[in-house]
Amino acid sequence: MARPMPATRRMMLPARPQTLWGWPAVINFALGGLGAGWYIVALLAAGLERSPGVAAASWAAPVLVLAGFAAVAGEAGRPLRGSRVLRRLWSSWMSRELLIGLAFVLLVSADLAFPLRLHRAQALVAATLLAVAQGCILRRARAIPAWDVPIMPALFLLSALLSGAGAYALVEAMAGRPMAPTVIGAVLGLVVIGFLAWTRYLGGRREPAFVRAVATMRHSRAVLVIEAGGYGLPLLLGLVALAAPASAGPALGLGGVLLVAGQVYAKARLIRAAGQLRPITLAISLPERRSS
Amino acid sequence: MTRWGMTIDLHRCVGCQTCTIACKQEHGLPADTAWRFVADCEVGEYPDVRRLFLPMQCMHCAEPPCVPVCPTGASRQREDGIVWIHYDACVGCGYCAMACPYQARHFVDDASGYFEQPTPSELAQARPGRHGVMTKCTFCKERVDDGLARGLRPGVDADATPMCAVACIGGAIVFGDLDDASSRVARLAADPRAQVLMPECGTQPRVYYLGD
Repeated sequence: MARPMPATRRMMLPARPQTLWGWPAVINFALGGLGAGWYIVALLAAGLERSPGVAAASWAAPVLVLAGFAAVAGEAGRPLRGSRVLRRLWSSWMSRELLIGLAFVLLVSADLAFPLRLHRAQALVAATLLAVAQGCILRRARAIPAWDVPIMPALFLLSALLSGAGAYALVEAMAGRPMAPTVIGAVLGLVVIGFLAWTRYLGGRREPAFVRAVATMRHSRAVLVIEAGGYGLPLLLGLVALAAPASAGPALGLGGVLLVAGQVYAKARLIRAAGQLRPITLAISLPERRSS
Repeated sequence: MTRWGMTIDLHRCVGCQTCTIACKQEHGLPADTAWRFVADCEVGEYPDVRRLFLPMQCMHCAEPPCVPVCPTGASRQREDGIVWIHYDACVGCGYCAMACPYQARHFVDDASGYFEQPTPSELAQARPGRHGVMTKCTFCKERVDDGLARGLRPGVDADATPMCAVACIGGAIVFGDLDDASSRVARLAADPRAQVLMPECGTQPRVYYLGD
């Protein structure tokens, strides 16, 4: 009679894609990060003072954040109960995201109506917290191995800053306003840090469920769009802008588009493709292999 | 202090899905929703393969990750440990489903039936308040509460026991008070063979599986 082998943890139900969060969630994460990041970059580039770049971000960022909320509200089963989302501020990052997002919109609006450095500083903090809160939402998703990782809030903050820098560079290039070399240098440094964080995320865990889930972001197309298009080319174009100021406008404009596109694509892959529910495992023993 | 829990003996489960149907019938679940099901699993690699039936449901965790993430407070945990959803407060965002490692939360989109027209039974059991919100196993808390109010003992008296446990043809599912050392469920949960699903998640499930 075959003796049982020692109990080992085995997969009973395989991972399967989550189906509840689709494109509306992607839009919320993408637009929220873009709006917050754009405001942060524009404000820091102007040293917290008012500037045409800050004015553009001040008009666009709240619209982007609110559009993200509107999109994700459409995905909820009972969107008319939306006000209830603010009820669990002490425990739910989704509640905190909404509160921080609304505070950001109010503070930017207040600065537009009554320009004050204090308003802008507060809005800067709110924008930073908004990006972090979005990352924390995914961090608390225990069912999704690709999201439930400690680096997620930092990854979302970096993603917001990168996409925001892209939007800022694009608008500045279209408006014909040259970006200061120090700002370009800072953005390039951000691109390098963002790339390192992204590669750290993809290779940071050996848990099989995580490795399987993020494999979709290691495919050639994802690597081409996210890593080459979203990090490599913008870095190259930024260096071109620094080396040849005459071509800075088009180079930074194109680099900005690529930065935004790369980050939006990365978030879409993260939510839709890497959003795999954790496989169900159980420790059981199997009969020992029988000799023939 | 009462702490409701359940044990499921994997050696007794024959994969008949009677518990699945009993649950659907008891709660009037629409066609595409099942709060519990029995997974037909094939584990191992040839020739060391084994077929195993794994009943899946909400684990009513002591540390439920679905409760704190809920932005509306609709996901709740009672003093006796039952994790439930207040449908009138749920916004249907699905965040709890992303937090539950046991795939135990289900979004009820609409009242889809099994046929083109709803049957009289489906019409009788339709619960519009449950549409557009998240749903899950409740440990049949209405039966438990009603039974207690009538002086019955959940886990002993069928009328006060979750329908899955009542309907199980193999006697695999046992429900009761884990804090009552004399209860059958407490004794089974203390069995060395008892284990919980994915203890590494730190959720402290109150559904125990009796395996090897």
